[in-house]
Amino acid sequence: MVDYLQFVLAPQVITGLALGVAVILVALGLTIIFGLLDVINMSHGEFYALGAFIAFGLGSVGLPFWVLLVLVPLIMLPIGYIIERGLIQRVFHSHERHVTTLLLTFGLGLVLEDAFRLAFGPNPHKPEAPIQGAIEVIGIYLPLYRLFLIGIGSLVIVGVALVIYRTRLGAMVRAAAFDRHMAASLGVPVQRVYAGAFAFGVALAGLAGVLLAPIYSIFPTMGRDFILLAFTVVIVGGMGSIAGAVIAGLFLTQVQAISSLYISPVWADPIVFGIMVAMLMVRPQCLFGRLGHG
Amino acid sequence: MTNILKTTLWATLLSATAMTAATAADPIKIGVVTPLSGTYAGIGQQVRWGLELATKEVNAAGGIMGRPVELVFEDEEANPSVAVQKAEKLFQVGKVDFLTGTVNSGSTLAVGQLAERAGKLIATTVSFADSITADKCSPNVFRVNARAGQQSAALAVWLAKEKPQAKVFYLGPDYEMGRSTVAAFKASAEKVGASTVGEVFAPLDAKDYTQCVGQVRAARPQVLYTSVAGNDTVRLLSQMQEFGLLNNLTIVGASGTVTAQNLSAIGKAAEGFVTGVGYSAEIDTPENKKFVTAFKAANKNDPDLYGADSYGLIYAYKAAVEKAKSTETEKVRTAMRDLKWDTPQGEKTLRAGDHQAVQTMYVVRVTGGQFKIVGQVKGEDGIGPDACTRF
Repeated sequence: MVDYLQFVLAPQVITGLALGVAVILVALGLTIIFGLLDVINMSHGEFYALGAFIAFGLGSVGLPFWVLLVLVPLIMLPIGYIIERGLIQRVFHSHERHVTTLLLTFGLGLVLEDAFRLAFGPNPHKPEAPIQGAIEVIGIYLPLYRLFLIGIGSLVIVGVALVIYRTRLGAMVRAAAFDRHMAASLGVPVQRVYAGAFAFGVALAGLAGVLLAPIYSIFPTMGRDFILLAFTVVIVGGMGSIAGAVIAGLFLTQVQAISSLYISPVWADPIVFGIMVAMLMVRPQCLFGRLGHG
Repeated sequence: MTNILKTTLWATLLSATAMTAATAADPIKIGVVTPLSGTYAGIGQQVRWGLELATKEVNAAGGIMGRPVELVFEDEEANPSVAVQKAEKLFQVGKVDFLTGTVNSGSTLAVGQLAERAGKLIATTVSFADSITADKCSPNVFRVNARAGQQSAALAVWLAKEKPQAKVFYLGPDYEMGRSTVAAFKASAEKVGASTVGEVFAPLDAKDYTQCVGQVRAARPQVLYTSVAGNDTVRLLSQMQEFGLLNNLTIVGASGTVTAQNLSAIGKAAEGFVTGVGYSAEIDTPENKKFVTAFKAANKNDPDLYGADSYGLIYAYKAAVEKAKSTETEKVRTAMRDLKWDTPQGEKTLRAGDHQAVQTMYVVRVTGGQFKIVGQVKGEDGIGPDACTRF
């Protein structure tokens, strides 16, 4: 019994927490982009992969992990900005915005995935974790890198929330999300806010890619790994809600982590999707309202 | 008038038939339906290199019964329905005498059924699924490579010697291949005295193996058997290393678990991994050294098991045709049954009862980032009973 607690249950809660933080990082970008632009970004998983591949490419020419952690999101920013202005804005004002942007980003994801395969080959790569080793607390074995991931992920999440809810920039973003015509007439540069928010979401995905590569390895189709779970988190949390994404992210990953101990791990995904379906049936607005509305 | 026309027609037809009948210098055509593009292109490449090298050698030494061998390649894209189309084309239009190259077990089974209808013989040099030479065996299908059962039997024999009475934990991917490999190895291992302390099946493409890691830790096994493959192995082994589990645990697995494709990504976590295989470039015999040197000179790459088994097939076919003194299906089939021939990995025998090659099996371990041979198991100890009831 004690064995079970020490070796199985407690580490599982901690690794579930690490996974939760990772999923929230991916979901945050997704939910900001949806909340503000009303765009379902189907290529978000590939931006996560792009971050990991850029880090892998730069890492193999000798840049240390700690530099990449800052550099990769900075590289992702202009990439996201250009994609928003160059591609998404072109179909954004169509009557069927949801369909056109969904198809556009889906296609972009496919192109990126094949580009990774051409550039880096189909085989997986795995960077060494920058922090090796583990600590043992009352018999519970905790790898240091996972603890580091929980710590830095929490900092980023709190930082994002502060920017959105406590700064003038965040106020402009929320205003643009609430009513873009009113915001524009009050002098908010809505076009640039949109592109900037998209770039910010993409940079968060890239940061998640850098952080998670030492645990989950790098390969062309890695973008599909988190995207379904991240979408579920965004939907359960309330499309476009930051607090919702955090709470749903932590809750759903714990459900996955703990349930997979008692029933076959294969059922972890169906359970999470089942929760999403139940949520949509019982409370269609889900946990929280949209960005700018609550 | 009509009669004259009929006679001329018959005469033309007859002479045409006479012209197509094999003369001494006509090439023997071997069709190769193998993946030259897509996920399995790397395997198809080895198949091609192996077959081409052997064909070149055979032709330089005077061919088969004085007739040169000609290979006709078609890309099957590792897709059974494409494989069937391409095989049909080779049988009907290409008029090949024999066919090989299929990689995917589904392709081999499908092309085998086609061969039965077309009255031709095929051989696979790659497919692992036991069923091809067991419950789904075909009188027209031969397999010259070792099947999955031979690999796990070899591993079990090694386990019994190195870790007698070992406590074993099983971890497989949750689908047909994973469940069948775990069941097969469990049966082999328990037969030689190992005990089972737990088993868990993780979803294919699982992100996190941590729940499995916890269960492995709590069960305190001495040996972990796994049959995950590809990138799943990268995650499983590196996460086990992250949780400090690799220190006193021997990891053994299926031959597809750690391969040249994922070995470098797994890195240090792959050290000590043990598996059973039918071929390794490390085999220390003059025949194999000669083969490896020739293969490297021709292709700038080391041969792997697919290249070696494909190379060996051409010599099996040569021996069978020379024994049968014909390329006719019936005669070659009879000649291939219980055929013994020499390959880079030693003498192989095609068992008459199920058309499965019996061969020495090797146990290899990852040492310093490379596979090294740590043991071998005689063919008859690894082959298992003949489970084919169709012929």
